[in-house]
Amino acid sequence: MYDDINFDEIINKYRSDPFDYLDMLTPHTGRVTFKVSEGEEVAGPSGKWHHHPGTLLYIINRENNPKPINSATNGVVASLREELEGQFVKAGEKLMTIKHPLKKREIIESILQNVLYLFRAPEKAKYFFSLDIQARIEKQGEKAVFIKPGEEILTMSLMKRDTPIYYTGEEGIIHSVYFKPGESINQGDPLIGVCAKEKLPLIQKIITHVKAEWS
Amino acid sequence: MVLTHNKSKKIFTLSSSLLSPDSIKKIIFEEEIPLRRRSFPPETVDTVLRYGEIVGSSIKHSSHIVRGMDEARRLIHDAEEKELAFHSGTVILADEMAESKGRFKRPWHAPKGGLWLTLILVNTLLPESSLLVPMAAGVACCEVLRNLGIAAHIKWVNDVHVDGKKICGILTEAFTGSRHREEYILVGIGMNVNNDSFPTELSGLATSVKACLNKESSLAEIAAQLLVKLRWNIGLLHFEEAQNLEEHGGVARRNSPVAATLPDHEPLLLKSYKSLTDIFNRRVIFGFDVQKTPQFEAKVMGLDNMGGLILELDDSSLITQYSGEIIYL
Repeated sequence: MYDDINFDEIINKYRSDPFDYLDMLTPHTGRVTFKVSEGEEVAGPSGKWHHHPGTLLYIINRENNPKPINSATNGVVASLREELEGQFVKAGEKLMTIKHPLKKREIIESILQNVLYLFRAPEKAKYFFSLDIQARIEKQGEKAVFIKPGEEILTMSLMKRDTPIYYTGEEGIIHSVYFKPGESINQGDPLIGVCAKEKLPLIQKIITHVKAEWS
Repeated sequence: MVLTHNKSKKIFTLSSSLLSPDSIKKIIFEEEIPLRRRSFPPETVDTVLRYGEIVGSSIKHSSHIVRGMDEARRLIHDAEEKELAFHSGTVILADEMAESKGRFKRPWHAPKGGLWLTLILVNTLLPESSLLVPMAAGVACCEVLRNLGIAAHIKWVNDVHVDGKKICGILTEAFTGSRHREEYILVGIGMNVNNDSFPTELSGLATSVKACLNKESSLAEIAAQLLVKLRWNIGLLHFEEAQNLEEHGGVARRNSPVAATLPDHEPLLLKSYKSLTDIFNRRVIFGFDVQKTPQFEAKVMGLDNMGGLILELDDSSLITQYSGEIIYL
């Protein structure tokens, strides 16, 4: 996979269309009331702790239990399915797409997340490195700590219960860290990105290439 | 020394006092059942206590151990190596611990005179129920202290305080057995009972049962009371989980597309918790590791049905936290 990277193709792809497209699917069945219109700009969560929800996109109501759905990112509303206004829809129905303009950092991350092995959060919780991994990061520096499957790498903290998390991916170097101690990570979001030791120069090349090419 | 309900009538000494399976039964029949029947139907009380009966099914006592959590892991490891099923609800009691630790490896002072208990549960609860185990332990400890006439309160998540001084601390860790990948919940409870001399750094921050009552108490009696309260509160989690499963056709709420959309009800355990906590409307500093890295000041507005702390920030916005600590301002 790593050897097949065509830098020009990747860069051109992002140059011609520097957006991410997030489909908004209904979390469950219910009657839909839209709160935005097509072409409208929307904002993602804000505040130091991301505690201000993003723009209200729609409300889905099931059995008198209305659930507001807010935008998870900034962008513009595209492909709004206006014909579903007031209709009862199934779970997983696509209601709209949020066209999100990508920043250089996001482009790099997007490319990296395609080439790194991503170890994801098993639960919505707060995470911190195990003492051993933390000590190794402090001693060896970033992008240098080698991990193998079965190794205790993280502690998941939820309601004051600490659970050791064992690595289950491909062995390699911890290249990217996607969490900060004290911040909640949603279930399924990446915690770390790991790459094989010999691929590190290639990963660095991707970053350098994108940084240089992308103005 | 090991005691089990079905094997031995022997009693063992815990700091010169006595604790036996019979003493636990006596408390259950004479105190706990009458108390709970004031709020629950008799059949519910019986069912809850039956679920909780595993707590203390095996009690191991040592005069001295290094750390309760390490001892628990060792016992699990030994049982697994011998291909033995581990007794869920095993309790380790120690007269003193040499190198006990709190969260974030903070030192925990555990000399003779205190109640140092580690409970090992095989995690058979669904995630939404096991989430509340740390709170159940806090409720159990607080109920024991209230029973002694001490005006104790729970501080989120599960520290127990008296007039702002910590009397009881709880550490909860999950542990996966290396041989069979069985998940265990280890609950370490430290209660200052007859130990009333604290290191300088804890001066003014900690208190004990002895300091509150101006007399020494029987460690064994308090240990027995605590096991009974743990039986009730852990049993309550199992009872309610079974009720919920029955209600939703045997499917866990979060795995049921229908149940997940319905308004959830307040767990019974949280009702008890709310009656024992003094967090509401308090101004606090919140932090994941609040002593090392305080994050923000806020006012406590409530608890959600998962035990999450609802905080109001200075700009009137609300944030709910499921992990972290608070310091009262």
